Amino acid sequence: MSMNIVSIFLQTLVGGIGIGSLYALVALGYSMIYRSMGLVNFAHGQIYMIGTYFGIIWYQGMVMGLQVPYPVAFAIGILLNAAFGLVLERIFRPLANLDLMLMLLGTIGLGYVLDNVAVITWGATGFAVQSPLPNTPIIIGGVALLPQMLLLIGVAAILMIGLNVFLARAKMGKAMRAAAQDRETASAMGIPVNGTNAMVFAIGCGLAAAAGILAAPIVYVNPSMGAAVGLKGFAAFILGGAGSIPGAIVGGLVFGVLEAISAGFISSAYVKGIAFVVMILVLMIKPAGIVGEVTIDKV
Amino acid sequence: MFLDIEHLTMRFGGVVAVNDVTMSVKPGEIHGLIGPNGSGKTTIFNVVSGYYKPTSGKVSLEGKTVSGLPAYQITANGFARTFQNLRLFKSMTVLNNVLVGMGHHSRTSIWDEILNPRAIQREEKAFTDKAMELLRLLDVEEYARERATSLPYGHQRRVEIARALATNPKIVLLDEPAAGLNEAETDQLRQILLKIRDSGVTIFLVEHDMRLVMGSCDVVSVLDYGKKIAEGDTKTISADPVVIEAYLGKEEEL
Amino acid sequence: MKNQSSIIKWIVLGVGAIVVLAFPLVAPNRYVVHIVNMCGIWVLMSMGLNLCMGYCGQINLGLGAFWAMGAYAAALLNTRFGMPIWVNMPLGMVLAGVVAALIALPMLKVKSHYLALVTIGLAETINIILVNETWLTEGPLGISGIQMPNLFGIAFDGDERYFYLVLICVVLGYLVARQILSHRIGRSFIAIRDDDAAARAMGVNVPKFQIMSNAIAGVYCGVAGVLYAHMTTYISPDIFEFKNALFVLTATLIGGMGSLVGSLVGGYGMPLVQEWLRAFRNWQLVGFGIAIMLVVLFMPGGVVGLGQKIEQAGGIRWPWARKQTEEKPKGGPNVS
Repeated sequence: MSMNIVSIFLQTLVGGIGIGSLYALVALGYSMIYRSMGLVNFAHGQIYMIGTYFGIIWYQGMVMGLQVPYPVAFAIGILLNAAFGLVLERIFRPLANLDLMLMLLGTIGLGYVLDNVAVITWGATGFAVQSPLPNTPIIIGGVALLPQMLLLIGVAAILMIGLNVFLARAKMGKAMRAAAQDRETASAMGIPVNGTNAMVFAIGCGLAAAAGILAAPIVYVNPSMGAAVGLKGFAAFILGGAGSIPGAIVGGLVFGVLEAISAGFISSAYVKGIAFVVMILVLMIKPAGIVGEVTIDKV
Repeated sequence: MFLDIEHLTMRFGGVVAVNDVTMSVKPGEIHGLIGPNGSGKTTIFNVVSGYYKPTSGKVSLEGKTVSGLPAYQITANGFARTFQNLRLFKSMTVLNNVLVGMGHHSRTSIWDEILNPRAIQREEKAFTDKAMELLRLLDVEEYARERATSLPYGHQRRVEIARALATNPKIVLLDEPAAGLNEAETDQLRQILLKIRDSGVTIFLVEHDMRLVMGSCDVVSVLDYGKKIAEGDTKTISADPVVIEAYLGKEEEL
Repeated sequence: MKNQSSIIKWIVLGVGAIVVLAFPLVAPNRYVVHIVNMCGIWVLMSMGLNLCMGYCGQINLGLGAFWAMGAYAAALLNTRFGMPIWVNMPLGMVLAGVVAALIALPMLKVKSHYLALVTIGLAETINIILVNETWLTEGPLGISGIQMPNLFGIAFDGDERYFYLVLICVVLGYLVARQILSHRIGRSFIAIRDDDAAARAMGVNVPKFQIMSNAIAGVYCGVAGVLYAHMTTYISPDIFEFKNALFVLTATLIGGMGSLVGSLVGGYGMPLVQEWLRAFRNWQLVGFGIAIMLVVLFMPGGVVGLGQKIEQAGGIRWPWARKQTEEKPKGGPNVS
């Protein structure tokens, strides 16, 4: 099998899109929560991690010896994490729209809690997860594609499209957009702002769980998987434009590809650094992010 | 030639807030800027004080162009302003609020804090004395050590004016200083305006309260939909049919 | 009445000073003194953070990077060139301060949550450089063999003696900060925090002060770094990870962000609490996290803020309270 520069590049690109889809789903969670509550949830990475566990433990047969098929575990994980999101929204309601510093710290505190509860419950050493799909890569045009990777990209795309459709068409989705734009008016028009926020939080958490469960067979599952992904998802969220839904998707994909390219062609040690430098440059040129942010604070 | 606004246009996206406005304020004047809501008055203020860069046109003070400079440099050039919705520094005392205004005259640097504390002390004393004088001028001296936002509304307005005066301006821009004041307070405000003018500071004033405008302004410019529609002394303006139309058309009272 | 309270104040200060100075002699063991020394280092970082973030409102989470600058400068100068601490200290301070200022420069127009990210990213990047550029930093193995200082003929070897060195730095740091805050620069910082636009309208050169506050944070962290290097005689990149910046941030918030005293309280209080909780192992951090959430939700002004609230609610005056407190801990609704 000859690997010329083009196929290496394409390989890297696909890998980047794969990991980028992961970041995009996580970034979407950040964006949705930010848009509705004005809250930057620095614990989102941990929520991603917890969501992954919520789903994977069923697939791995870790719950009372029951082992459920992958799609079922996927659904359970999402639902459990979404429910968890409802609880979190209630807790964080007073923090919304407050000082950034307090928000930062409150959610960091949550992050600490989740991190360590995960360690206590499931142990600090993680485990590898078998993909439900065959492990032999599919080769197209000289590029080797892992079926699980394709699954990740495919399902992520479906979720992202679904989300956009939901926000544009469904009544609940429109209500969310209204509540995000102007809470007081929305409230005056009978839209239950708090209920809407709760749903948004739930969706954000659900998406994170989806991301994690899809990625689990590719990455190693352990309690510290949240920190790195959380930070990168946050970077993607900012890069694309805080609060913007398309921005989160673009930001995630761009960040993923950037990482893959730096790891593949430049230096894998400096991957993080390069990604950050590029991001800083983008922010300097266009402070609102690639797509542009959606602010909810009124000057 | 003092404050000259020449062909000022301010566009926000598709909206033209200020449309080719030209006007001048003479030194020692109390110059009013009135007009129905949305006519562009506060936008002009925001351009003059440096909050916005004009889309086109220019603003100059004593011949020097100031439009386009950063706000803090504009202040250094002799401008000061107050805000329509009161922007005092919430966590500071009245005195400290005013002292902030004096800061840009300072001749000390951070190194002096460690190496030359005597100079710092001297400057602090000089600044504090001047600040107290201003507070006295505005009759709020007794509240010097209180938290600025704990004062009654009318007094807070005066503190804001004192703070603006602390920058030692040639001209001070007052953005609806009578908003929220009752009749007695508005009268007091009128006296304050005269006192300020007498101390050599020119006043440029945006206001809705006609009593105050008529009672203190030498010249009044009228805006409507971003354009200047009339200018003159208070008698001429109040009789001008164009002005009356603009206000009545918006169902406002003159 | 006035003279009486003055005298009481001086007596309390005097006794306090004696207690503090005698501490290493009466401490139960060396480990305790070591912990207290570490606290002093956290306090220095916290004061820098407070000046920049608490008083001036400039988010800066890159503390780890500046701390590392100071520590590595001292470590390298000492192990490679044999430079003593009184050379390393100013150099470390300058390096850290300059780096902090340079980072702040392009970020002046950037909004707060971006700043948080960028400063974190910076710290991570510096960490990566520290780990990878082994020709400079010996990489993950770290640098060892840093000498404990020898000033004016006194060897500050051992935790007990080092205590006084740290103490001097903390006291000086506090006094300098107090000085800066009481005059024009401090007022400018607070004005910028309270209302950036109004500050500009009042002639405050906001960009200059933004950079200054960041540089100051850098300098304080640089001092902390130099002290750390000479104290522990061994440094390695993992010490400067973001986790520790977070720790200082938390300590500052719990003590009181926007209050210099809060830095003292947070810096000396938190690590002690943490040590005590160490017995609980994993649950310790869970408790830590919950504690942070509780503070944020119910006590945003930190311990100092709480003290002020109690003052106002109960109409009492803490005996150590100064005449007019205007430093309001930032955060949450207006403490009125």
